Amino acid sequence: MDQVGKLLARPRLYYNIDGLGELGGSVLCLGYALLLWLRMHSPADSVWQRISSFSFLALLLLIPYGIKAVKTRITYPRTGFVEYRKPFHTQAIAGALGALTAVGVAIGFRRHWDISALVSLAGLAFAASCGYHFARAVRWKWVIAGAMAVATFVIAFLPTNVLGALGNDSPVAHPDRAKLDGTVLLSLMVYGAMLLISGGISLGIYLRQTQAPAQEGQ
Amino acid sequence: MNRQIRTIADLDRVIHEPGRLMIVALLFAADRADFLYLQHETAMNKGTLSSHLSRLEEAGYVAVTKTYRGKVPQTLLCLTGAGRKAFEQYRRNLKEAL
Repeated sequence: MDQVGKLLARPRLYYNIDGLGELGGSVLCLGYALLLWLRMHSPADSVWQRISSFSFLALLLLIPYGIKAVKTRITYPRTGFVEYRKPFHTQAIAGALGALTAVGVAIGFRRHWDISALVSLAGLAFAASCGYHFARAVRWKWVIAGAMAVATFVIAFLPTNVLGALGNDSPVAHPDRAKLDGTVLLSLMVYGAMLLISGGISLGIYLRQTQAPAQEGQ
Repeated sequence: MNRQIRTIADLDRVIHEPGRLMIVALLFAADRADFLYLQHETAMNKGTLSSHLSRLEEAGYVAVTKTYRGKVPQTLLCLTGAGRKAFEQYRRNLKEAL
């Protein structure tokens, strides 16, 4: 029965066989970090202050289509096509909305909690999620998930002035806000870079190990 | 015959064959998949895979759609409602038998 259970999990694990799931995650993290940086370092009346939230949502919606376009050209002709019962972008959008709700709740309770600690908790949850989704199929990716968790702790224990310096030019002068911005920005950059490396290695291995079939009928 | 032995005898023989069990389990977890994906995952050759798929299609467990991906022919496969029910029943019977 365990073998049947493993077979049932195969189509889900196949989604990241080419590393594109991780590369999509890295584009999301790095893209959001860029938008956040632009918002922090632009004047209060800048266009970035107004459109950054919409740009993030647009990025969130565009990534699944980008992944599908690349898979159509690279993955499907090499190792086949799978359509999932519950599309991944539905899960991704649900996850992002859940995260936004959590951030909203956290902001609501910021007087009572150190909000940077919540960012660290969210980072640990993100590392665990990456481990569950990507490392189940490829064991060395547990190293990446572990490194993300370690990086979360390191960022959490960085001195306030170091984190605050990242958000120093923010129009909001409050030091707690600057520390929060710095924590989020650094976390996103680190996670994005790790996912980029991990996904890039997977894509390289996939391209080397598979070959596009000749243009023939099945 | 006691009940457990009868459960073993009741196992669906169409699904019970290892090659077909792999195909049905893979299709059960997905909405649709193409021939190339099943070939990649099961490591069967085209002839063997086609033969198993024909048997499953005859039993009404798998629906086959021939289409094109650009100019390349593509064979899409999905489990029918009967196929899903049969696989669920097969898992229940197997669990009970073991």
